[in-house]
Amino acid sequence: MMTRVPGTTTGPAPAQATDATTPQAALDAVSATPTLRVAFRRSGFWVAAGVGALLVAIIASAVAGGRASAGPPLAADNAAQSGAMALVEVLRDRGVTVTLADTLKEATAAAAGSADPTLFYFDAEGYLTRDQVTTMAGLASRTVVADPDFDTLQALAPGVGFGGLAASGSPGAGCDIPAAVQADSLSPGGKTLTIAVGAAGLTGCFPTGQNAFAMVARGDADRTVTLVADTAVFSNDTVTRGGNAALALNLLGAGGDLVWYLPTFADVARTGPPSLGELTPGWVTPTLVLLVLVALAAAVWRGRRFGPLVAENLPVTVRASETMEGRARLYARGNARLRALDALRVGSLQRLAEKAGLSRLAGLDEVVLAVAAATGRPPGAVRSTLVDAVPANDRDLVALSDQIQDLERATARATTSPPPGRMDP
Amino acid sequence: MSVTGRFVALVALGVVPIIAFGRTPGTAGTVLGLWLLLVLGAGTLDLTLAGSPRSLSLTRSLPARVRLGETVTSDLYLTNTGSRRLRAIVRDGWQPSAGAGNNRTPVLIPPGERRLVSLRLAPSRRGERRVNQVTVRSNGPLGLWARQATLECPGRLRVLPPFNARKHLPSRITRLKELDGRTSLLVRGQGTEFDSLREYVRGDDVRSIDWRATARRDDVMVRTWRPERDRRVVILIDSGRTSAARIDDEPRLDTAFEASLLLAALASRAGDHVDFIAYDRRVRGRVQGAQGAELLSRMVDAMAVIDSELIEMDWSAVPGQVRAVTSQRALVVLVTSIDAAGASTALLSMLPQLTRRHTVVVASVTDPTTLLASWQRGNREEIYRAAAAERAMLDVARVSAAIRLQGADVVTASPADLPPALADRYIALKAAGLL
Repeated sequence: MMTRVPGTTTGPAPAQATDATTPQAALDAVSATPTLRVAFRRSGFWVAAGVGALLVAIIASAVAGGRASAGPPLAADNAAQSGAMALVEVLRDRGVTVTLADTLKEATAAAAGSADPTLFYFDAEGYLTRDQVTTMAGLASRTVVADPDFDTLQALAPGVGFGGLAASGSPGAGCDIPAAVQADSLSPGGKTLTIAVGAAGLTGCFPTGQNAFAMVARGDADRTVTLVADTAVFSNDTVTRGGNAALALNLLGAGGDLVWYLPTFADVARTGPPSLGELTPGWVTPTLVLLVLVALAAAVWRGRRFGPLVAENLPVTVRASETMEGRARLYARGNARLRALDALRVGSLQRLAEKAGLSRLAGLDEVVLAVAAATGRPPGAVRSTLVDAVPANDRDLVALSDQIQDLERATARATTSPPPGRMDP
Repeated sequence: MSVTGRFVALVALGVVPIIAFGRTPGTAGTVLGLWLLLVLGAGTLDLTLAGSPRSLSLTRSLPARVRLGETVTSDLYLTNTGSRRLRAIVRDGWQPSAGAGNNRTPVLIPPGERRLVSLRLAPSRRGERRVNQVTVRSNGPLGLWARQATLECPGRLRVLPPFNARKHLPSRITRLKELDGRTSLLVRGQGTEFDSLREYVRGDDVRSIDWRATARRDDVMVRTWRPERDRRVVILIDSGRTSAARIDDEPRLDTAFEASLLLAALASRAGDHVDFIAYDRRVRGRVQGAQGAELLSRMVDAMAVIDSELIEMDWSAVPGQVRAVTSQRALVVLVTSIDAAGASTALLSMLPQLTRRHTVVVASVTDPTTLLASWQRGNREEIYRAAAAERAMLDVARVSAAIRLQGADVVTASPADLPPALADRYIALKAAGLL
């Protein structure tokens, strides 16, 4: 198919070298593929537009995300409304060293590294077990718990229960704990805690109704656990209301060091066998990434088209026998036995007349008699085959068709005329 | 731009260092990144070192015409005008039916030198085959990445009808020559003219003795006659929608071309003037006033680019077309298709206008599968098929009879037989002096 003729051609141009050919010379090959510069000039607007749209999207998402990013509630680095960044920043300004802890281990380490630590604890998801809560409460001399759940209450102060939501009004301190006294009042509403009758060592502050307090403190000899019922005291959007800020700053800024401990999923004790991720060797994921890249490169290798497709107008293909086939299917679908047989008979009669030496215009009876005479068959039978018999079913049709063919062969043998060759009527 | 299989293999080879050095996910990721940087750097280097495919200068050398069924060599000269050695694969973008195949030719051209890429073309279809572009993929020295460009280099090749029927020509010319020099009894008629005098030999018709010439010479002389020369033959091919139908895997139109080429070659040899028109609703091709070898070459050239149009033939304009060609009495050969009575009404209603002035022959291709189907009657479906075939043949017979009734002649035959059959009919008319 292809031949390659190597060697340098230094003679005259091939246009003159070959006489019998018509050279269509191209002195300078014009490239149909645009160069990088032309392609960039052509598509530059769209590239610039795409990049611009992307930039706008990034900036917009950054601006919107800074405002409304939903970090964990009361996180020290969460500047959203539910965060506690404002409080933590103020504490740091006041010289309190705030250490962030995500796990009990980190909290333990942070508390151990400080002489007089204060621990802030808020567990929105309930990660810690009762034992872990007890351990946590023993870490620091002052522990402030925001919005305790049932397990926490059971572990730290079994005599404290839930008091529902406060009706309204801004509760006064109502106790002699210094921080509460300095705060004087809290923002209205919010959750409350109750103190069971007969429970010892518990001080309720900011009473909001019948035995309902916004804050409960449990004081031991050297450890104080303060339970603050509602997160509103600490969160960014409400910390400035009423005496919230005063209470929060006094509770948390009492010592020089603050451990800000929000439990995470890492605190949950793991059970069962090691996961698949731990069992796989380190090279598996990079290898998979590499294989994806190899597949990508192979797709480019095999898929890159060798020049543009070449178009060609092709002629329609119409089979000439389509009408015949269609008509045959129509006959078959409609069971048009007699009509089909008539077509066969008329064709046969014309050929028989020709073979018997009769003219094209010979009558039916003449042909029947001539064929009967030539083949030596009774004229009645010949006439029945060629004219009269009516097929009642498909078997009759096949039989009659065979008889007609047989009659034609017999006549051909009798008259020894050559078989029909060219279709020349 | 493109990448090669070698590059893909090189990227895949990165598995080895990743497994060897990547104990933890971190180090394995680092190794992966380093490896990717390495292969991308190698690829970029390769790409910058590759010769530019745009620096090629192309010259094409190609015969103008080829007969269908023959092969032809298309030569493409590539001159590297750049300063780098070009290792490239070249693809010549011929249309599929030019028969160039899926051609990919590797070439290595040092700067300033020229190489030849020869391609064998075996066209599979008549008509004009074109090539517009040559695509060059230039590989870098490392064989990793390649630059690719498509360069304009147009060319065209006219593929002529095969004229396979020319094998029938020698025998028909022999028969034509036998017509010359016959004595009067056999051929004398309106269409014959005096040829020469020759000596009487036994067996000659005594009525053809020229007594005056005999008196001048000592011998008995007879007059001989030859068929009239310088008659006009007008071949009109129907290129309408019915000519697109395929019979024996050959469109009716191509069979019509074969038949008219044989007839034209024969008539031209017999000294007649041949005109050719391909018509449906307008003239698709016309050859007028050519003789001998020029006639045939102009005819195949005109036929090469004619395709069936999917519109109905306008028979009412045909007498006007014939009148525009000749005002003399002529043999008008209409190569069309005779199918059903309904479809041939326009032809039948037009025929008297032609037969009044001219001798008319209507030639049509018939389907040999129809004849075959009419004899296969093994089961129910085949019998219905045979009945439909008989019905089709009867339709052809009816239309043929109607055409004969209008004073025209009919030639029908299968694709292989139509050209010689038409030539034979021409010779018969010639012998009978009916032109």
